[in-house]
Amino acid sequence: MTELDTRARDLVRPDRVHGSVYTDPEVFELELERIYRQGWVFVAHESEVPEPGDYVTRRIGREPVIVSRGKDGEVHVLANRCAHRGNRLCNAERGNSTTFRCPYHGWTFKNDGALVAVPMRGGYSDEFLAKRSELGLSPAPRQDSYRGFVFASLAPDGISLREHLGRATGAIDRLLALSPDGRLDLRAGWMKHHHFSNWKMVIENNVDGYHALFTHQSVYEAVREAKVSHVPSKVEVYVRDLGNGHSEIDYLPEYSRLDEEFVWFGRAPRAKLPRYVEAMEQAHGKEDTHKAFVVGPPHTMIFPNLFLAEMNIMFVEPLAPGETIAYTTPALIPGMDEMNSRMLRRCEGAMGPAGFLIADDGEIGARNQMGLAATRPEWIMLARGATTDQHDETGTVNHDKSSETPQRGLWHHWASVLDGE
Amino acid sequence: MTSIETAAVGVDPAIASFLYREARLADEARYSEWEELWDDDGLYWVPMSPDADPARDLSYIYDNRRRIKSRVAQLNTGARHSQTPPSKMRRLLTNIEVLERDAETVTVGSNFVLYEYRYQMTTWAGRVIHRIRVGDPARGPRLVGKTVHLVNAGGPVPTLAFLL
Repeated sequence: MTELDTRARDLVRPDRVHGSVYTDPEVFELELERIYRQGWVFVAHESEVPEPGDYVTRRIGREPVIVSRGKDGEVHVLANRCAHRGNRLCNAERGNSTTFRCPYHGWTFKNDGALVAVPMRGGYSDEFLAKRSELGLSPAPRQDSYRGFVFASLAPDGISLREHLGRATGAIDRLLALSPDGRLDLRAGWMKHHHFSNWKMVIENNVDGYHALFTHQSVYEAVREAKVSHVPSKVEVYVRDLGNGHSEIDYLPEYSRLDEEFVWFGRAPRAKLPRYVEAMEQAHGKEDTHKAFVVGPPHTMIFPNLFLAEMNIMFVEPLAPGETIAYTTPALIPGMDEMNSRMLRRCEGAMGPAGFLIADDGEIGARNQMGLAATRPEWIMLARGATTDQHDETGTVNHDKSSETPQRGLWHHWASVLDGE
Repeated sequence: MTSIETAAVGVDPAIASFLYREARLADEARYSEWEELWDDDGLYWVPMSPDADPARDLSYIYDNRRRIKSRVAQLNTGARHSQTPPSKMRRLLTNIEVLERDAETVTVGSNFVLYEYRYQMTTWAGRVIHRIRVGDPARGPRLVGKTVHLVNAGGPVPTLAFLL
């Protein structure tokens, strides 16, 4: 295992981090080990594999995995590597198959990982064949899900998924409160956007309430006003470190103050969404439906790789210290076509490589990475709002949305994970 | 209706010149002039797969006329950081075929290679389908549809904030 010369804690101070955390290949290797192998990582959503035999392929850190639904209805997370000679077994992004047959020597595995056929078995000893059951696809040592979001860890021991998620489960609940039956459909396809910046820049930026006025100036100037002002003093929008590296921008106080529905959804009037409104009121009652429509979805980063981007879902995959892939898809609501067609168009408008917002985040991220080639000054400043943070039962909160509270929370957690604390 | 076989040699010079102008205006970041090529019901579409259904599937770009206008307005602010300064670009449009033709509309398919220089050289390639309204000679040809099937639509794709 990679060991840094220094402890990660020495690279993180309460109000600043060392620039090398974004650029140092040793830091990157240690992150893959401690965060992406040993920790919990989001891998897929259950709606992506609704039927037995359905599968998608993903990566956990660098490791290719197959996420499949077996005949038993269970979701399996399996190493995408033939147990014989290591060929990457499944080479499609998604599909349906009861078995995976390796094209190299024909070994065949069930979609729950069991080895079911070894051709020309006469060439093997009885002793070897008796141990065939041990030669299945390697399952992720730990796998668990929370309300449809499937996570895995490549280490056998560690804290439970619930412990890891901590207060972040509330963000998933907040999203699912907008679905009449508490389900989502994540099958519209993932935009894969190649970012030329460190993965932590992407996730930090997702919960940065300071940059919008500058990075996204062109949107507000040319296209439309922001849903609520991005001038911190004009809005009651909070930022929050939820603990365990999770963090969010919370529009709830501002939306509640306005008491207007769908501010977060282009202020769409109820009349445009009659079937959805009806289904929501049937499922949750009038009062809770109104509340859900006012409060809206979460804007929450779940450490290390899952971003609940309001009505979109993003996850990141680190490729190299300066390269990341961001995957984005809308959080469609099963059967609610009038919502979903809007969500598709809104996702395309804002997100991904051509999005009105994220294209510029990508550019700024790439320039950030280029800027950090300068090794002086050594530190990056994250002091904004440090003296006005408040602690309560929801985490560490700052009532100024431009505070760097989410980033401080992320880095504090990052250092403790890398140091194995 | 004209068959593909006979069409390859029969691209109307006015249509070819319209395609080349569209390509040049996009290459040279002449956003407003590019926008003027579009008719009121235009659709600019960059799907993520060749058989995508925009009613169900996410696209990289699915701009109706209003969003085309917004995209151009954003580029024109000078604060669209991902195109500030604009990428240096040149594209080649080739293998041009008329796929369909009636009194109102000509549908043209072609292949393209686009070289984009921004920090480094990026090569983009694909097939583009133009639908051009030709029914009103007084107004000249007008763009009603541009669909771009990128060779690397499966991704990952780098930022593409320029006009494809």
